[in-house]
Amino acid sequence: CRASGDGKSEKFQPPPKPVIIDKQKQRAERRFLSPEFIPPRGRTDPLKYYMERKDMIQRRKVFNIPEFYVGHVLAVTTADPYANNKSNRFVGICIQRGGKGLGATFVLRNVIEDQGVEICYELYSPRIQAIEVLKLEKRLDDNLMYLRDALPEYSTFDVNMKPVSRLDHEEVPVNELQVRMKPKPWSKRWERPKYNIKGIKFELPESKMKEAQKWSQPWLEFDMLREYDTSKIEEKIWKEVNEGLKK
Amino acid sequence: MMPIWTKSGKRHAVTLLKVQDCHVLRYVSKEESGGKTAKLLVGGKNVSPFSKPEAAHQIFKEAGVPRKQKVTTFNVTDDAIIKPGTPLYAAHFRPGQFVDVTAKTIGKGFQGVMKRWGFKGQPASHGQTKTHRRPGAISTNKASKVYRGKKMPGKMGNIYRTSFGLKVWRINTIHDIIYVNGSVPGHTNCLVKVRDSQLPTCKECNKNPPFPTFFADGDEKLPEDLFDEEMFQFTDPSVTYT
Repeated sequence: CRASGDGKSEKFQPPPKPVIIDKQKQRAERRFLSPEFIPPRGRTDPLKYYMERKDMIQRRKVFNIPEFYVGHVLAVTTADPYANNKSNRFVGICIQRGGKGLGATFVLRNVIEDQGVEICYELYSPRIQAIEVLKLEKRLDDNLMYLRDALPEYSTFDVNMKPVSRLDHEEVPVNELQVRMKPKPWSKRWERPKYNIKGIKFELPESKMKEAQKWSQPWLEFDMLREYDTSKIEEKIWKEVNEGLKK
Repeated sequence: MMPIWTKSGKRHAVTLLKVQDCHVLRYVSKEESGGKTAKLLVGGKNVSPFSKPEAAHQIFKEAGVPRKQKVTTFNVTDDAIIKPGTPLYAAHFRPGQFVDVTAKTIGKGFQGVMKRWGFKGQPASHGQTKTHRRPGAISTNKASKVYRGKKMPGKMGNIYRTSFGLKVWRINTIHDIIYVNGSVPGHTNCLVKVRDSQLPTCKECNKNPPFPTFFADGDEKLPEDLFDEEMFQFTDPSVTYT
């Protein structure tokens, strides 16, 4: 019997059942298919992309290419016949990932002794000996070319940086950093809507921002001929790549 | 087109050519054709027989082969004659050989003199009246005529052109694909004629081909991929310099 009763006779509420979160299932739900596997739209024979994919899978079996996005800080060691130790290590933030198939590239940027340096590496080149991911963070944009016109502090990374530890099943964190820019003129007019940049803190007057919106093309998102739905293609390629890597 | 790396780390671009249902159709002897050597008619890529009259199917019925989209002739010496009806495969070529590739170039339609022949045209400003992309003068006063073959505007492209001395880097025997160095005339998925190179510098490299051709029902069992010696295969570890 309860001493301080509620007055109303409450039915016995059983305690809530414990929800078992299976961490292994969570890990499997997160899929990452490298963007160079997805074939572009065109009239080429799919057999050509199949042959390229076989070569890419073969290279990935021998050499580990880690999962990385634009905005990660990477260290790449390449074989260089003219260097002292015959190898060359470069650390930088990944600005863009381009190309499809075996010719896929990524551009790393860093500021060394007040000089901005950008190097474009090919993912599947045999001269690359190691790729290490030092810091994992996605940014708000797919293309960080505006870092060229931003203050140099945003592109400097320590060459002897230690890799930041990270658990496997966590999602890749998104860094919502708003970058401050050098005074205009810039290499491209980043305030225009065609670049669709969310990661810059524009300190321009309102009139300039309004004038930039004149170049917006709001009909583009409704254009059905430009749609390229890659979900089904990605499923097939994901299965193919996984089977190839397991063998 | 695809990138390819050598064992020293150099990068080359490569075109993939697929050998699609090629059969030998007919043997024409030296006296019949009136040329210096005997000829072999070869057809490629099966196509439906219903879009042409029965008379055009004569050659294909004699060889016992479905109708082909393209028929080409190859000049052949007497010891390299093949029986009509034999299929031809990509393994006819070997990595390290040199090859000439002929195809119809991409048609650009009626084009002006600047695009077709590379003329410089006239300046955009400084008083030019309605003359920016015109040919200018077409002959001299003394000639008092225009020479035959004068470069003028006209239909550009859609003609047969050959790229000579292309190296074969790799051959896939299952899908019948030849990886040929550099670019090849023609648009993607167009029909192309591949022939042993006739350049004088390449005569030594084409010394040991499968002669007269590679027969699939023979005793030779080739591996899935044949690579050139200098090519970097993706099963090897990364390139290092010593």
